[in-house]
Amino acid sequence: MTTYSTAPAPDSDLGLLEDALRKTMESTTGAALDAALVDLGWHDMLTEMPDDTIPMVFRLLGETGAHAPVINDVVLVDAGREAGGVVPLPYTGRQWIEWAREDRDTTALDAELPIATVGSGDPVPVAAARRALGWWLVGTSRAMLDSARTHALDRTQFGKPIAGFQAVRHRLAETYVAVEGAEATLRAATDELGSLLAKAAAGRAAIIAARHCQQVLGGIGFTAEHDLHRHIKRALVLDGLLGSSRELTREAGALIRAEGSAPRLVHL
Amino acid sequence: MNVTEFRTAVRTWLDENDLTPGPDHSFDAQVEQLARVRRELYDAGWMRYGWPEEVGGLGGEAVLRAVLGEEVATRDLAEPGIYSMIEVLAPTMISYARPELAAEMVPKLLRGEEQWCQGFSEPGSGSDLASLSTRAEQRGDEWVINGQKVWTSLAQFASRCVLLTRTAPGHKGITAFFVDMDTPGITVRPLRTMHGVDEFAEVYFDDVVVPADRMLGNPGDGWKLAMDLLPHERSTCFWHRIAYLFTRLDRLVDETDSTADDELGAAYLALHTVRCRSLATQQRLASGASLGPETSVDKILLATAEQQLFDTARDLLPGVLELSDTEWRTEFLYSRAATIYGGTAEIQRNIVARRLLDLGAE
Repeated sequence: MTTYSTAPAPDSDLGLLEDALRKTMESTTGAALDAALVDLGWHDMLTEMPDDTIPMVFRLLGETGAHAPVINDVVLVDAGREAGGVVPLPYTGRQWIEWAREDRDTTALDAELPIATVGSGDPVPVAAARRALGWWLVGTSRAMLDSARTHALDRTQFGKPIAGFQAVRHRLAETYVAVEGAEATLRAATDELGSLLAKAAAGRAAIIAARHCQQVLGGIGFTAEHDLHRHIKRALVLDGLLGSSRELTREAGALIRAEGSAPRLVHL
Repeated sequence: MNVTEFRTAVRTWLDENDLTPGPDHSFDAQVEQLARVRRELYDAGWMRYGWPEEVGGLGGEAVLRAVLGEEVATRDLAEPGIYSMIEVLAPTMISYARPELAAEMVPKLLRGEEQWCQGFSEPGSGSDLASLSTRAEQRGDEWVINGQKVWTSLAQFASRCVLLTRTAPGHKGITAFFVDMDTPGITVRPLRTMHGVDEFAEVYFDDVVVPADRMLGNPGDGWKLAMDLLPHERSTCFWHRIAYLFTRLDRLVDETDSTADDELGAAYLALHTVRCRSLATQQRLASGASLGPETSVDKILLATAEQQLFDTARDLLPGVLELSDTEWRTEFLYSRAATIYGGTAEIQRNIVARRLLDLGAE
């Protein structure tokens, strides 16, 4: 599958880092991955080269299906505090959650994530964290798309791979376009509004990916033995964190109405 | 001159030189306004930046043309669709015409002395452009052309036409010519569209004689010429159109009493997304990358955003376009064509599926 501009050159430092991160995430998750990331230099990455490494780490979480409580670190460092703790984070529906650093049971839709609601929290800086979650959602979307694409090529009905049917192809194309668009907004996001829009675009793309990929995967995508449901549940939960696509889109609408015009955030 | 300096200088000049169109919104008036804008911008030098010196330009990066077009669109100085036609016509001439012919003709286009048109689609060849059947037959030093084109924008105003013809079977049997529209045997019949504008025309060719030195490239280069247009259409032209759509979102925000922030936000998000994507595309083009099927993503995002914006305008300005003769009506209706022209929404998705997702043949 052609991706537009995601990966660094394989033999560059970033390419080597990406390899190491991907291998770690393919074998480790949760609290163990949290520790492994620290060993790989996560705390230095946050302060020394955040523009390259935060997108990479979060995109790879999505692509591999692993998870770690590292969104806390992005918020903490953005707030001028030390990485490594836990901070209450706003969740859609005027709720607050905590993403624990240790593995624990949860009532969250995505039962792998040690997330629990808490009564309240203090305002936190959200721009950097929204971008990070946006990259996670893009990675999750790409994992779903990859899985649906493989299925469409392997699965034969009416004597040919279902990838040969235009109705199937167009669903996958629609997903690809939404994900590429979201990624473009993430690459361009620098300020508060850009980060808000990028999180909204990424959440929207992930919901589109979930719908189309589930449909293309048919019955197998509805089973617990196929990985798709893990990505779908992760996308739904991450979409609500720091504002859902729907909420953020509405907020953007209110903003342009208040300002009387729509800010052009990127320029040639 | 870098982009920032150029933008600042253009803005200053436009602040001092009022090119605002007159009250007449007819299509004839729009075409006349386009010629005026080009002439003034050419004489002041701005229209010449980003074009090679051999064809009357002043050199500099092509991105300067996108910057100029954005300022023109943002100030509503010219209809963006016809303003942008230059972006596909002039590069074609520069790449495929004899250097003397390009040097003679392109300045006329840049300066607004002439309008040109593009004879590609035919009644039997829309999405399947490569099946076109307008014949060109060699007769000594001349070629004789017979056939019909359709959806030819500005044909009734055009002095010249970049014309695709059939000279042999298959993709390699398509040959392009640069044809004077006053050649005997050419008949133009404007098409009335649903938005009430005679933008397109049917063009008939009956034994139209064209000198061999008006061929663009060599026999059989026509398909490549058509494909080579895409990077231009999908970089600079798209940037202009996005700038125009942002002005319409601003206008909607200004005119609506509605507090439907979901819809406004969604329209904004769609426009912001295609602007970010288009920026990345132009950065890649500027860095020397050649553009290919990935620009179908830009096309899909743009067409979708355009229709969403005007759907939102219709919803948030209830009864306006239905009951009063405003620009909203014309522009809403025109936006219906966004998923049809320049490669339909379905063809774009086919390209994404085949070329980007590598899903194999249908």
